[in-house]
Amino acid sequence: MAARRKTPSRRSKAHREFVSEAEEILERMRDGLSDLADQQTNSGEADPEVINQLFRSAHSLKGLSGMFGLDGLGELAHHLEDVLDRVRLGRAGLDAAALGLLDESVALVALTLEKVESGTQDELLDRVAEVIGRIDAWARSPEPATEAAEIELDPAMLRALTEYEEHRLQENIRRGRRIQVVEASFDILAFEEGLAELTGAVREVGEVLSILPSPGEGDESQIRFSLLVATEIPPGDLEARLEMPGASVREASRAGGAPAVAEPTAVLASDSAVEPSLDAAPELTSLKSISDTVRVDIRKLDELMNLVGELVVQRGALARIARELQALPETARLAADLDKVHKGFERKLQDLQSGVLETRMVPLRQVFEKLSRVVRRLRRDTEKEVRLELRGADTELDKLIVEELVDPVMHIVRNAFDHAMEAPEERLAAGKPAEGCIRLEASQRGNDVVITCSDDGRGIDPAVVHSRAIERGIVSENAPLADREVLDLIFAPGLTTCTEVTETSGRGVGMDVVRANITALGGLVEAQSELGRGTTVTMTLPITLAIIQALIVGVADQQFAIPLNSVRETLLVEPDEVQRSEGRELLNLRGDALPLRRLGREFGLGGEDQSRTGKQYSVVLGLGDTRVGLLVDRLEGQQDTVIKPIQGPIDSIRGIAGATELGDGGAVLVLDVAALVEDGLRGGDSA
Amino acid sequence: MQSILVVEDSATMRSLIGATLEDLDVPVKITEAASGFEALRVLPRGSFDLIVTDINMPDINGLELVSFVKKNESYASIPLVIISTEGSERDRDKGLGLGADAYLVKPFEPDDLREIAKTLLSRVQADE
Repeated sequence: MAARRKTPSRRSKAHREFVSEAEEILERMRDGLSDLADQQTNSGEADPEVINQLFRSAHSLKGLSGMFGLDGLGELAHHLEDVLDRVRLGRAGLDAAALGLLDESVALVALTLEKVESGTQDELLDRVAEVIGRIDAWARSPEPATEAAEIELDPAMLRALTEYEEHRLQENIRRGRRIQVVEASFDILAFEEGLAELTGAVREVGEVLSILPSPGEGDESQIRFSLLVATEIPPGDLEARLEMPGASVREASRAGGAPAVAEPTAVLASDSAVEPSLDAAPELTSLKSISDTVRVDIRKLDELMNLVGELVVQRGALARIARELQALPETARLAADLDKVHKGFERKLQDLQSGVLETRMVPLRQVFEKLSRVVRRLRRDTEKEVRLELRGADTELDKLIVEELVDPVMHIVRNAFDHAMEAPEERLAAGKPAEGCIRLEASQRGNDVVITCSDDGRGIDPAVVHSRAIERGIVSENAPLADREVLDLIFAPGLTTCTEVTETSGRGVGMDVVRANITALGGLVEAQSELGRGTTVTMTLPITLAIIQALIVGVADQQFAIPLNSVRETLLVEPDEVQRSEGRELLNLRGDALPLRRLGREFGLGGEDQSRTGKQYSVVLGLGDTRVGLLVDRLEGQQDTVIKPIQGPIDSIRGIAGATELGDGGAVLVLDVAALVEDGLRGGDSA
Repeated sequence: MQSILVVEDSATMRSLIGATLEDLDVPVKITEAASGFEALRVLPRGSFDLIVTDINMPDINGLELVSFVKKNESYASIPLVIISTEGSERDRDKGLGLGADAYLVKPFEPDDLREIAKTLLSRVQADE
């Protein structure tokens, strides 16, 4: 009995809404399952709130599927809901089998949803029936008996408890926790912040079983909340912890137990002295749209971004015209006006730009949570005991970058699990705890986001990697390489196909692909490792791709743009300051040796040459902690630019990221800083 | 024009309920709230002739909302419809016990909701 919409177009819009909301529900369920699994491995006890949320998700999905006549999906959601309902009401325990079954059902829900878009979801009905059969078989297992505990509570409060809340109340009483009622009043138009503070403080020491709102006593503008709380600490301590004037705490009495601390109070309607004033209802403005968030197609944001990009380029043209007008005496006054307008325009444009950029930012949480699911699955399928620690899931990046990051980060974590982690016996023999740890950490540093994946596994033996790389002809035998450079070889293509290396060294599978992916995002990836102690892979990524400020430099008769966020500083270099060592050119930068590259030679432009006597500039490029100096002839100023991808013969030239328009209509090539820095470290082809 | 408050955490369900109610013979104004808290915030700002609410919601549940409305003299006379996914009989009995006027099970038949809404709205009009 599906709701029939009147017109097809409306139906299909509703349908799209359904799919999009169902996907959100699905994502929430995956998160919940992943949390549950973590809780089981960590404390062995599942958080009732997580189970209840999972239940609510299955419940919503069931209701939605029913409205859209998706019977298979509805049935599946119904059975999921049923299992979760038993678990949350304490009628069934959550074991590994149940978790596996839930995982599988959620995967099947995902698959079905994919098919809904093409209307072919019925192809999966057999599988759905099979999974439902197994859920039913599991659900028939005996239910632990529950005995009802008695408690004296305000009847108004009891009446509004759902079955689940009643169960939580009973469960907490059975566990010997003290049931208390916390009451506080707030301004009715702005209660949420205060209430959130109150519930937050209570949750630190107990469980909030129910939140019952009631009218403020004698004051229309107030709203009163009674929180039913289960905790181990006495009411006095709880009240002291809340630090909220006006909040009161009292203990609900147990039947036949401790004496009642207080009479049931003014929560009952008959007791409250409410003075109704119907005419006090404020203005009836439009309240139709109250929800604070909207979902937007990422393509619309891309379009907006492109528009902003074009405006940025046009602003450049405006600035140039203003400058030219200023040079002429007869237009100087107009030029000053234009300049003022231009400055205002520039400021607003910057606001618009950062506004659009901010809209595209999403936290890394999604990626991290996917990873914890993967690690959980790996842990289940192997003998290894590995804990995944996640830090900085709230770090934000452009949505596009986050999406592109999933694969490389997944690869790195899988590598750590598969190859770096030893079996528990081997770990114990090496004097390490049996449980290994992979830690994924993200943080923002200036315009970059740094993501590190560190493990406490067996580490990489540089000698093995080196000899293997020589064997494979990746490096020549007599080239002296520092350990750091040897380690970098794990990112070289060609080392990957060699399985012995991965088994003995712990790494190597597809790391060249990882580097290619990260580099394509304008990022940098490096590895550090200590034999026997573990490996750390560090990825440094720009926060956003779209609009960048660029430094325009000149070599011979060419101009290039360098993304300003990777420029650390610029230096004037006299020819005799350039030192040479082992075939490489270096510059003494405040005591550190800065590897140098000559931009003209990179692209065969001639121009500067080490024998020439003129001054040059070194643009110090930095990605993460790595620095490389780029020698150029001229610094020509800063400019906002939008990088456009280029096609044709030059799109595959290493070191070029794309092209950009300058305000005067000319086009210049944008340097790929990540590639230049990497080549610079390796000594590059110019060595 | 009569005014209806729809409290439901699922956006799709909310707009389905809204669309169903907009199809009544009489013109109505629909206000949506995505949670119980939002409903508490919205209630004092409008004068509603009918409230339609879900039970399972993230902050306060539909029963707690019904209890609040019925205890508050400013709102106690507003008729209330609970729409919840078929489930616990006890939740239904509690809802009606707290003073809700009707209980509908999801997936609901749009005609049923319209019928109930029409009846309850005309009752309000008769009172005025």
